[in-house]
Amino acid sequence: MKTVRTWWGKKYIEALEGFIDTGRLSRGKSYANENRIKKWAMEGNLITAQIRGNTNPYYGVYKEPTYKTTIQLKAIAPSDWKKVIQQLGSQAAFVSRLLLNEVPDNIEDPFEELGLHLLPRNMKDLQTQCSCPDYANPCKHVAGLDYFLAAKLDQDPFLLFELRGLPRSELSKQLQETPLGRVLSQALNVEELPLIVSESYFTRPQAKVYSTHLPPEEFWRGNKRLPEQTEPASPPAVAALSIKKGGDFPEFWKRDNSFIEAMELFYEAARKKGKAW
Amino acid sequence: MKILHAFWLPNSTDAFVQDGNFCLWVETTEISNKSPLRSRHPRQLPAMELNSLIQELGIVGDPKFTGEVTLSLPSVQQGPLPCPELTPFLETDFQEQWEFRDWKVDCWKLDGQPIASLNELHFQTQFQNQDLLSGADFLFWHWFAQSLKAVLFKDSYVPALRLKKVAKQKAHELYAGWDFATEAYESLIREAILRMPPSAAPGYDAESLLPHCAEVLLHSSIIQTNLTQALAKKIDGSLVDAAFNIGMTGVWHKTADVKLYRSWLDWVNKLSGRQSALGFQLAFQLHEAGELELDKWCLEFKVLARHDPSLSVALEDYWEMPNRARQALQQSFGNDFEQHLLLQLGQAARIYPALWEGLETDQPIGLSLSLEDAFGFLNETAWVLEDAGFRIIVPAWWTPQGRRRAKLKMRSSGKTAKTIAGSSKTGLSLENLLQYQYELTLGDEPVSPAEWESLVNAKTPIVQFRGQWMALDRDKMREMLAFWKAQGEQGETLDMLELLRRNAGETELFEIDAKDALAEMLAKLHDHRQITPISDPPRLNATLREYQKRGVAWLEFMEQLGLNGCLADDMGLGKTIQVIAQVVREKELGFNDQPNLLIAPTSVIGNWRKEVERFAPHLSTHIHHGGERAADKPAFAEACRDCDVVITSYALARRDAKLLEGVKWRRVVLDEAQNIKNPLAAQTKAILQIKSAHRLALTGTPVENRLLDLWSIFNFLNPGYLGKQAQFRKNYELPIQRENNVGKSTLLRKLVEPFILRRVKTDPAIIQDLPDKVDNRQYCNLSKEQASLYEAVVRDVEQQLAASEGIQRQGLMLSTLMKLKQICNHPAQFLQDGGPFTAERSHKLERLSDMLTDVLDEGESALVFTQFTDIGESLERHLKSTLQCQTYYLHGGTPRNKREQMITRFQDTESPPAVFILSLKAGGVGITLTRANHVFHFDRWWNPAVEDQATDRAFRIGQTRNVFVHKFITLGTLEERIDAMIEEKRKVAGAIVGSDESWLAKLDNDAFKQLIALNRQALLD
Repeated sequence: MKTVRTWWGKKYIEALEGFIDTGRLSRGKSYANENRIKKWAMEGNLITAQIRGNTNPYYGVYKEPTYKTTIQLKAIAPSDWKKVIQQLGSQAAFVSRLLLNEVPDNIEDPFEELGLHLLPRNMKDLQTQCSCPDYANPCKHVAGLDYFLAAKLDQDPFLLFELRGLPRSELSKQLQETPLGRVLSQALNVEELPLIVSESYFTRPQAKVYSTHLPPEEFWRGNKRLPEQTEPASPPAVAALSIKKGGDFPEFWKRDNSFIEAMELFYEAARKKGKAW
Repeated sequence: MKILHAFWLPNSTDAFVQDGNFCLWVETTEISNKSPLRSRHPRQLPAMELNSLIQELGIVGDPKFTGEVTLSLPSVQQGPLPCPELTPFLETDFQEQWEFRDWKVDCWKLDGQPIASLNELHFQTQFQNQDLLSGADFLFWHWFAQSLKAVLFKDSYVPALRLKKVAKQKAHELYAGWDFATEAYESLIREAILRMPPSAAPGYDAESLLPHCAEVLLHSSIIQTNLTQALAKKIDGSLVDAAFNIGMTGVWHKTADVKLYRSWLDWVNKLSGRQSALGFQLAFQLHEAGELELDKWCLEFKVLARHDPSLSVALEDYWEMPNRARQALQQSFGNDFEQHLLLQLGQAARIYPALWEGLETDQPIGLSLSLEDAFGFLNETAWVLEDAGFRIIVPAWWTPQGRRRAKLKMRSSGKTAKTIAGSSKTGLSLENLLQYQYELTLGDEPVSPAEWESLVNAKTPIVQFRGQWMALDRDKMREMLAFWKAQGEQGETLDMLELLRRNAGETELFEIDAKDALAEMLAKLHDHRQITPISDPPRLNATLREYQKRGVAWLEFMEQLGLNGCLADDMGLGKTIQVIAQVVREKELGFNDQPNLLIAPTSVIGNWRKEVERFAPHLSTHIHHGGERAADKPAFAEACRDCDVVITSYALARRDAKLLEGVKWRRVVLDEAQNIKNPLAAQTKAILQIKSAHRLALTGTPVENRLLDLWSIFNFLNPGYLGKQAQFRKNYELPIQRENNVGKSTLLRKLVEPFILRRVKTDPAIIQDLPDKVDNRQYCNLSKEQASLYEAVVRDVEQQLAASEGIQRQGLMLSTLMKLKQICNHPAQFLQDGGPFTAERSHKLERLSDMLTDVLDEGESALVFTQFTDIGESLERHLKSTLQCQTYYLHGGTPRNKREQMITRFQDTESPPAVFILSLKAGGVGITLTRANHVFHFDRWWNPAVEDQATDRAFRIGQTRNVFVHKFITLGTLEERIDAMIEEKRKVAGAIVGSDESWLAKLDNDAFKQLIALNRQALLD
């Protein structure tokens, strides 16, 4: 049952490491936060950002500068997308996972079969610009924006499709045109659940007035006898059964280690203190 | 007497977090003089005493939490009504009109470990404490808390989020915590709602109160967990971390991350998602690998129609079908079948990611698994998928029924086994069976130690063994191998008790060879139906029922094996006659050189003698009782010589221990063997000293449920079998009673089962054997006091009779009959002096109490008829307080609506079993009381038709069980003669007697004197 979470941000950075010097890339890490990135926008496959730089007397920069940085991923041609989606659409695993809003970790396979790739593979896939005086490209601001982008991919891996020229709505539309996708699409048009706002942390106990027409014994004893036997407390045959039904790495679990494993250990630790409950 | 109460008290707060506590209070019989305030509950244990009582019971906690709580309780003008557990100890009237009134009660708040504390208190009140009883409210909470604990142990809770609206703002705050997420929890709450008495939370509605209580208990339980550093790291910063470390104590996120909340909500809904709405069920069938390709396991996808599970199609076939066939199937599987199918597969794959591999196609049919994956699937994934609503089909050898098990097969060593087959007429003799040899077997096939060893050392837990897959428990197999090696070739020697102990406790390891004589013997021991019944002993003056014949055969079988058994048939099935039949048989076979000693409660000695006389008049009986009994050894030995049965009481078994020890007995029989339940009592010790070839215990109470009684009886029957008392307490009593350890109670049941023959009247095989109405006579003796009163009245009337005539004479005769019957019932009824209405003064009353105890213990109800209104009331009071049960009393003066109420309440099968006392006149006609399956006639009426009519209150349409009628007859008195006359009347067809006693007055003086004379020979004391 064990799986690992696929961190698309990490995959993205690893892909960049394939053709960008690691040292240079990592210098950008400190730029990848809201403090440095004043503004950012994404338009199709183009990402633009305004990044707060450092004063640097050596370059004659005495006032805190703001640089304009852009990253543009190479879009995959619409005709190629069509082929990719046909490939994707022929496999139930891809279709159901994509329509369940999950990116399968072997998503590159159908791309590769067509001589394509989803993650950037060389500098041709990635056009970057920065208004800073640094010659090096990518500069630390670009690298910073890459890290920033990586974090966004962790939250929403479908950005990757958008960056490669296929908006999510288009993906889903095109998928639905494949035979399998058509089959699935209707079932997935589920409405978003409404938020449930709680009135109280625990169920609020309600008052009740009991009738005085019953014999007083009923007040004391109720009207149904207790079972003769009480179920003894014993550990389950399979630990953590109920959470396992939700699969590993549920969305609210932001950690890298397995949620299932952590819960198995937690439940076990809780049971150990059962005598003190 | 004190009653322990418990209720759940939610904190009185409107705050977002509202928790609560269990509160304990104690209701007593005494009016507390320390509560001068009118608003305080008058019969409560005040704070100081409450605190020390609770602490004495072993509850750790802070007494400063004790405080006054206001409870709204059923009350009348005079004050609060006592709870039903207390009413037997108080003089209270039946209340029709009552109201709720507020009372202040001192309460101990359970903090810290509520579930454990309730369990400890339950153990203390149920098993350890004589004058503290549990109230129904307390018992409810004990049951609820223990059941909830069982639910918690099954990991049925998940981390949860609560979204709280911040007042006057659009924003939300986020709290972390825990939620229940299993069907087991839901069903517990549903059950509990039906069962919660209002007293368990006065003023609250069960439907919301129980979830409140369960959720608070969930939090207070989880908070006890010790997190290791490693585990703390694994959850750091996550929702689980917040639920555990912050929980109800505060806000986790001031401004809620709605996306986070939504993703949690989505997830939690998925956990509880059921798919029963679909027309089909997705199934996964695991096919095993062949012998040569160990890693080629296959998990096949299948679809079953929900409305017809026999319609199942493998997806592999489905995709191959022509369109038309597919469409036909789609109709059976419901709308949009293919679409739902893929979604189901996707959902299953999210639970079991390996499935994605099988979905990398547009027509998924299944996937192949390695041996290791297959084992993982069998061991865990299958459970998870099944719980999520998928159907799992695994190879038969994996299922509990199909599993081939490793066993050490035991058989008696070859040489002696032969002699068993062809020797002595019983086919068995103890000494032959002592030598055992062992063989290692897997699923019944013998396995050589070398092969065994290679299996033990296999790398995988499932292996191919002789062409078939099987699962191995290697630890167990290693243990067996070690045992086998230690035994060597010559085997092992065990005595009978050791063998039985092993057979009960280690069935996982050992198995008796089915072909061995041992197996047959053990089968008979465990299933008495395999014992061939005896035929009716020619000299027994009765025809035995089939189960009684089997009972006698069982007795003989046990004794031949050198084992002593306990005959524990339900009351009314005739234990007495089975014992008498066995004695008769032995006499026929010439085994009568030593007498049997029967020890019984004084109140049944007369009955025993009467029954022996009736069924086996040729047996000679001696009763060792009363002032004129043998006082020294020679006299006693002389009295016992040539006797078949010597009967004495428990009290004398102690007092005359020296005399009893001096005789060699064939058998010691204890009637109502629960009389030796106290192992420390001198009486018990004296009885254990008596030497005899065999011992037999008789009891009508389900001894298996009273562990100390059980131990004590076994200590008499087979000393050492259940260990010493302290060991028994440690190994069985405490684990079973305190920890609800099912394994231990199963083991104990298996251990004692071969020794106890208990047939219940609800057993279909027994019902077949019994008439719908079973008539029993209960003979008892007069007490000394009764006898002297009786004689005085008889003497008096003899003198007066000569001097009176006409109406006066008739009146005298009738009043005499009345007086004598009253004396037979109880001296207090005759004397009318307000003297104590106790069992010591009347064996009849004692016997009634004892028998009713058995009836109630079996969860059954009874009717008690008497012709005297004045004794009915005393009877009710006496039975209520000695039996501590619900009682009703119906007589001529009972108002109509009250009468209806009592009948409805009695008939309600959900109410506790009860005793209904009726005056023969008021209760003889018209009403239906089929809840009762026992009818007692405390005194006798001259006319059998009237008695029968009364009996028919229970024996009416709606009665599904056999009805047992017990008629009390005092030996040597007019009651015995009335009984004989009634029998005569029954025989003379059409003999109609008046419904009253007036015809009796027409007897002449001599006949009348004869009727009422006391037969001193029938007296005991």
